[in-house]
Amino acid sequence: MGWPALLAAWMPELLAAARGTIEMTALAFVLAATLGLALALARLSRIGLLSRSAFVYIEVVRGMPAVTLLFLIYFGLTSFGIALYAFAAAVIGLGLNGAAYLAEVYRAGIEAIHPGQREAAQMIGMRHGQVLREVVLPQALAVVLPPMGNYVIALLKDTSIASLISAPELMLRARDLTSEYFMPMQLYLLVGAMYLGMAYPLARAVRFMELRLARGR
Amino acid sequence: MSPDPWVRAYDLLPVMLSVLLTGALVTLQVTAGAFVLAIGIGLVFAVLRTMPARLPRLIAATYVQVFRGVPVLTQLFVIYFGLAELGLRLDPLTAAIIGFGINGGAYLTEVFRAGIESIHQGQIEAAYMLGMTRMMGLRIIVLPQAVRVVLPPLGNFAVGLLKDTALASAVAAPELTFRGRTLVDQTYLSTQVYLLVAAIYLAMSLPLAHFVRRLELRLGRGRA
Repeated sequence: MGWPALLAAWMPELLAAARGTIEMTALAFVLAATLGLALALARLSRIGLLSRSAFVYIEVVRGMPAVTLLFLIYFGLTSFGIALYAFAAAVIGLGLNGAAYLAEVYRAGIEAIHPGQREAAQMIGMRHGQVLREVVLPQALAVVLPPMGNYVIALLKDTSIASLISAPELMLRARDLTSEYFMPMQLYLLVGAMYLGMAYPLARAVRFMELRLARGR
Repeated sequence: MSPDPWVRAYDLLPVMLSVLLTGALVTLQVTAGAFVLAIGIGLVFAVLRTMPARLPRLIAATYVQVFRGVPVLTQLFVIYFGLAELGLRLDPLTAAIIGFGINGGAYLTEVFRAGIESIHQGQIEAAYMLGMTRMMGLRIIVLPQAVRVVLPPLGNFAVGLLKDTALASAVAAPELTFRGRTLVDQTYLSTQVYLLVAAIYLAMSLPLAHFVRRLELRLGRGRA
């Protein structure tokens, strides 16, 4: 088989699988971004137990490899009678993992806002929740956006480890095709190029955003 | 055989621990090997990246873009399975060290570049004025100062690398995660084994992360 025939056989399958990669990235990102915010707020809360639990979660999850977390969720939960689809387990695992990372990003963003602003907001009679929502979070967003963008790029690449629990995405499809065609070099280089094709535009966009935000300040 | 998996895991604990700790040693070995390789590669490309000439800068920038844009798992598979197809059969451990080393080198190139660029240009010009060559200026003036800027991100890289080496299990390198998978195949105690694996990773990464944080504080204080 020559290259044109091989590409004709592989590309439709790989492109379909790349869709799975993108969907997994998007879903895990939404989970990580929401849960991460809750964690950051808990971490900064004045309630000791809440703050300490968030701290422990962040430390523990950031201290172990994402694969280990995926294995615990996909294989480990079965002994409690919970059997998840590999795709769902991957989204949850990557989301839980990303939440711990984003919680620290959010925290840095919130702490970057001068405490005088909070005090001023409290002086004019705003409640704690209002101060966060109307004064702190909108400004923290500018600090948080670039690292969040970089996180999305890392997440896109990290979805490849979902292939280790056989979740349907690009890397798994490449492994399947490899066992069918015995051409690992060609397939993995091709798949590498596809990841690059997705990650590079994202990296450019984040870089552009960074420059824009820096100029605005 | 006891029916309760937790009781069975407790009975098997000494065996499982010895298997997993042997794996943890290999994890440390892969981490250390890849760390040294990544520093070497990163230094070379950071110097290329900050050269006045265009071509070396372009080569270094391309290396960074490509290797940071592709998942490290894909890179490992190219090195382990791909090269085997071309007749170059590496053992899993070597393949893992090379893969993580090259991948980490791309990351460290950017770290080292930031370190080099943090040194005021005037110092380099002064070094030229004293008759030093570019390499002498880098070695004697820039690098010793850049080390302070570079140490904290280098430490964070080591922590990240330690966890990333778990992916070496996919090319059958006998490290911690791989031993864990083997144990699960033999005992079917997936929950218990992976919890142990997680605990061992934590026991390695948390002290390392703590050390890096202290280092950061120390260096930060020194500069103020």
